[in-house]
Amino acid sequence: MSKVSINKLKKQFGDAVALEDFSLEIADGELVAFLGPSGCGKTTTLRMIAGFIEPTAGSIHIGETDVTNLPVHKRNTGMVFQRYALFPHMTVAQNVSFGLEMHNVSGKERDSRIATALDMVRMTSFRDRYPRQLSGGQQQRVAIARALAIQPKVFLLDEPLSNLDAKLRVEVREEIRSLQQNLGLTTVFVTHDQEEALAISDRMAIMYNGRVQQIGSPKELYDSPSNHFVADFLGRMSFFKGNLVANGRFVSEAGTNIQVASGQKVGRIGIRPERINVGAHPESDNVFDGWVESAAYLGSLIDIRLRLQGGDILNLHVPNNASSANTAIAPGSPLVASFRSSDCVLFAE
Amino acid sequence: MMGYSFNHFDPMDLMVETFTLENYVKFFSDEYYRKVFISTLGVAALCTVFALVLGFPVAYFLAKTQSRYKSLFIVLLVFPLMVGNVVRAAGWMVILGNVGVVNATLMWLGITDEPIKFMYTPFAVIVGTTAVVMPYMILTLQSVLEGIDFSVEEAAQNLGATFATTFRRVVLPIAAPGVAAGTMLVFILCMNAYATPVLLGGTGLTMMAPSLYDQIAKASNWPFGAAMALVLIVTTLLLATLSNWLIHRNYVKTMGA
Ligand SMILES: Nc1ncnc2c1ncn2[C@@H]1O[C@H](COP(=O)(O)OP(=O)(O)O)[C@@H](O)[C@H]1O
Ligand SMILES: [Mg+2]
Repeated sequence: MSKVSINKLKKQFGDAVALEDFSLEIADGELVAFLGPSGCGKTTTLRMIAGFIEPTAGSIHIGETDVTNLPVHKRNTGMVFQRYALFPHMTVAQNVSFGLEMHNVSGKERDSRIATALDMVRMTSFRDRYPRQLSGGQQQRVAIARALAIQPKVFLLDEPLSNLDAKLRVEVREEIRSLQQNLGLTTVFVTHDQEEALAISDRMAIMYNGRVQQIGSPKELYDSPSNHFVADFLGRMSFFKGNLVANGRFVSEAGTNIQVASGQKVGRIGIRPERINVGAHPESDNVFDGWVESAAYLGSLIDIRLRLQGGDILNLHVPNNASSANTAIAPGSPLVASFRSSDCVLFAE
Repeated sequence: MMGYSFNHFDPMDLMVETFTLENYVKFFSDEYYRKVFISTLGVAALCTVFALVLGFPVAYFLAKTQSRYKSLFIVLLVFPLMVGNVVRAAGWMVILGNVGVVNATLMWLGITDEPIKFMYTPFAVIVGTTAVVMPYMILTLQSVLEGIDFSVEEAAQNLGATFATTFRRVVLPIAAPGVAAGTMLVFILCMNAYATPVLLGGTGLTMMAPSLYDQIAKASNWPFGAAMALVLIVTTLLLATLSNWLIHRNYVKTMGA
């Protein structure tokens, strides 16, 4: 495995810029997820790493080698496609064998590598089946085995789970993660599903409109989003536009006074719904009265929109636990909510 | 018609109802008709091969192109189908005739001093027929190739295959059943071609369809004409069934029904 260095990568289709100023160092054995809404340039970036798309500008290094102008078949990346892309006229074993043949691996070594790869994804007993005789999850496992059998320098996956149903999605995701960690695979995992990205990655790159918004560990991105887009895209957050009137005191446009940690230039603040308590919690320096505007029962939690005096809306999550289970939370009823100033995230705009 | 082919032909009474195999015996024992039959198969095979070899790259291009002119290409391709074969044959006469475009160019370039005889040769028939069937070939192949998930080709390249290897080991095998079906369609069209061989082949090359037409329309030998027609139809059907069977035997198990 190798590290990957992407430097100032840019792609333009005609006049439309699909990706701009993309720089990223992926460490040896690291899994980086590209996360963003549809059309933000994730696939384009991944395909430039694999060599299917030629960059308009910038460079890509795999290990120490500049691969920017290397054709696809010489890059030695292992790609897993959204729709599996197995060879329909070949058996499972033949599918895995194909890449080995292309790399001139023959005889005993090839057989043993096919066996290892299939064993890795628990598909050994299906080796003589054709792809159409397999379920979606099984096909994707074969595609993974096929990509890894050639011992690629980089493992690339483009929304590999999006055609699987919810349960299988989690199962295959966990398999990919454990394979990746056991084999120390340098991996790029493209997804538009934030839960998937959070669960699987060492670091993630959040993209929007062809630009990277923030790169960091899942915890960094969730707890300290650097801008409004990231905060809004990842999880839920209540936002208040306004100004700092004194150090540590923020007033929203609707007039709500909020204690925040000290900051420089602040135009907006945000608070995650799970950081808000029902009732006046002793550690909370922000306490508000409000009226429940709507309450959605989501099983493990109740999702509440609270209207504050002045009209600001606070979104909070009440866990469906033993203490809250009997509290009646109906639209129109009054509710006290509180949170700590240190849990507020500050944004410049 | 099948019945007619077992009747007896009499120059005076024309058709005498009876049951005889004499028309078939005559067809297969007469050197001349055997030659007509064989050359029909040969010309059809050659035209099919040419259409396949020349049409495949075009079809592949059409199937893969993202160009906004794609529909224009397809319209251009379909356009000749709306012009009658006779008109197109006339076009080939202008191109291939002794004072035609090709000969004029060759003589002007000094490659030859006298016009080369293209018209009324097997060459003219093969060129003309290939051109007639080409759009059918391209359109069939295009729809077959368009059905192939492009990411399968990308997967092959990603695994280290060159374009040529990808084509040979992935595209062709997947496309094979469709290609075979398209090829068979074209072969059948070639076998049964009438206007093009008559107008471009003249007496230089006789094929089945014109020959049986002559038997019926000119010699008024309905029984023999009917026998020829039946031979043509049965050969066509046999080949179609055979190829269908081959396709199924080889691919149904892997590609699904
Ligand atoms: N071949 C192409 N030609 C023109 N525009 C393209 C092409 N491929 C992608 N795009 C555009 O580039 C942008 C990024 O696309 P893509 O990388 O596929 O997004 P994502 O994978 O994040 O959904 C989109 O606006 C898309 O329309
Ligand atoms: Mg995509």
